[in-house]
Amino acid sequence: MASVYKSLSKTNGSKEDGPANGVKKNKQRVLILSSRGITYRHRHLLNDLASLLPHGRKDAKLDTKSKLYQLNELAELYNCNNVFFFEARKGKDLYLWMSKAPNGPTVKMHMQNLHTMEELHFTGNCLKGSRPILSFDSKFDTEPHLRVLKELFLHIFGVPKGARKSKPFVDHVMGFTLADGKIWIRNYQINETEASKVTSADVEEGLKKKEKRDKTGGGKETEISLVEIGPRFVLTPIVIQEGSFGGPIIYENKEFVSPNQVRSEIRLKKAGRYNARAEQGIERLAKKGELGLRTSGGRAPKKDELDTAELFA
Amino acid sequence: MPNKSKLKMALAAEKGTDFNKLKLHKKEKLANKKKAVKGTVEKSNRKKTEDEWEDMEEEVEDEEARSGAEFVAEESGSEEEAEGLMKINFDEIDESDSDSSAGENDQEVSDDEDDEDIPMSDLEDLDEEEKEDMIPHQRLTINNTVALTAALKRIALPISKLPFSEHQSITTSEPVKIEDVSDDLNRELAFYAQSLSAVQEARKKLKAEGVPFTRPIDYFAEMVKADEHMAKIKAKLIDEAASKKASAEARKQRDLKKFGKQVQVAKLQERDKERKQTMEKIKTLKRKRQGADNEATNEADMFDVAVDDEIGSKPSRKDRMGPNKRQKDEKYGHGGKKRFKKSGDAMSSGDLTGFSAKKMKGGAAKRPGKARRAGKR
Repeated sequence: MASVYKSLSKTNGSKEDGPANGVKKNKQRVLILSSRGITYRHRHLLNDLASLLPHGRKDAKLDTKSKLYQLNELAELYNCNNVFFFEARKGKDLYLWMSKAPNGPTVKMHMQNLHTMEELHFTGNCLKGSRPILSFDSKFDTEPHLRVLKELFLHIFGVPKGARKSKPFVDHVMGFTLADGKIWIRNYQINETEASKVTSADVEEGLKKKEKRDKTGGGKETEISLVEIGPRFVLTPIVIQEGSFGGPIIYENKEFVSPNQVRSEIRLKKAGRYNARAEQGIERLAKKGELGLRTSGGRAPKKDELDTAELFA
Repeated sequence: MPNKSKLKMALAAEKGTDFNKLKLHKKEKLANKKKAVKGTVEKSNRKKTEDEWEDMEEEVEDEEARSGAEFVAEESGSEEEAEGLMKINFDEIDESDSDSSAGENDQEVSDDEDDEDIPMSDLEDLDEEEKEDMIPHQRLTINNTVALTAALKRIALPISKLPFSEHQSITTSEPVKIEDVSDDLNRELAFYAQSLSAVQEARKKLKAEGVPFTRPIDYFAEMVKADEHMAKIKAKLIDEAASKKASAEARKQRDLKKFGKQVQVAKLQERDKERKQTMEKIKTLKRKRQGADNEATNEADMFDVAVDDEIGSKPSRKDRMGPNKRQKDEKYGHGGKKRFKKSGDAMSSGDLTGFSAKKMKGGAAKRPGKARRAGKR
């Protein structure tokens, strides 16, 4: 009897759900993995992000860096429609690939200024698997490549409603801001306090308290303040491919300078320092030789008319 | 240049001509010519098909864009040289056209395959003469807006149709302005403000949809940061507070030390002042008493009697001493400095009591001899 009731109620529920939504449901699953050769910080960051994404499926490190199309098969294997892939190069540079699995697009970004939750010592905390509010800068809507990026962030970082391990309350917010051609990502806890009372958490955020007061203005609603949770990182988009880990490149960032180039330029500059100095030395020698001040090499000094050798020859 | 004779080479060397530069120059001219021709052809084509162009399927554009992208990705290496060149030119023109139509103002200078890209910044520190010979190259920007929008359309969620609780994303109404990215405080403040406004808006929407927002106090579940992690953070906070307090204490102590001496000096001065005042009081009282001997019935004195008694009640040491002791003290001295007591000073040398001119002149009677003196007794 119970089973009958269950099945009936289930069908009822689904029927109710179906027409109410009307359109397709937001259903996302993310395959989270990294390449080999990541450092511990990269690994910790990946763990932090995985803990924020209950709809993610963490997998072992991928062995190859050249055959990334294998990720599509992996994603299919795990029923994932998004791939979130850390690619480490030279044990120091980290590239983030985000892709919609079966047929793209794919975004490759360079990750900088990354700080894990552990090393940031922020006091914020949130439920594991609660659904975040995603806050986007309106600059994301200005250009098509940015809109693609925004959509990908929305799919990967937004926890879909009713995800398996998600929790029912909203207690954190992720901020995506575009500044200086880069995407800055922050994660804050939403801290609600009674309007009159000031808790200890507010004291830590003393700097921002004033502003908060101004914004909320009062009323019987609880005041909202934010406490940062971490992690922090900055992304520079490099390329967008049309397919998933393949296909033509439909966007390339001209302003992106690869870290290799930066390093090599620094090295060249250092090498140039020595070269300049060596050249100076040679120039000086040549100058001296020209003036006839060197014993060997260069031009011999002109014989003076009053030289003893000349006078008493 | 293997086909040039030695003599010619020498001549060229003398003149200082650079073959590479010459070659570049030629190439530039050629490219310009080709481009101009193609451009005119293309333009005329465009004009003819302009109204059709609007209605054309996106697919066509897509195809073109794709091939353009392919060229840049250098996947079209297998194509024939001449054909490739043709195609390249077409593609480039397409690229620039589509870009300009999308409102892009990127100045793109197309270049041949074998030429290396030279960034503009490197050109700035060249000489003027060298600049003339160079063809400026830039990294080709690929921004295939058509393909991008198509890709977006393919994956985009119908946000406007979905209830807010499905996606929970908020886009700010105005772009977040950050003047200086390296100014940490203001930058973080901007991020914070952005997120805060988003939260406020989201809460309103979620409450309207009847979705639980606030976590009840008695709802416990696994958190992102484990308890031990939070304990570590707490310990660090406490440590920080303690160190802050300790440093404040140390500073206070330092300041005290600095001012301690001044305080001590001030205290001593106060004590001195007090003593002086009492001495003064005594003196005035003494003077008054002397005056009271003459006029016994002085009203002021009558009131001062008690004070007098108070001060004069204690007999001095000299009063308590017996007469013998006093005499001895007068003779041998009591207390005071013992040194240089017998040495002369201004007073003693000015003291002429034992001097007489008479004695000096020998006028005085001479002392009789011993026997006489003895006989006298």
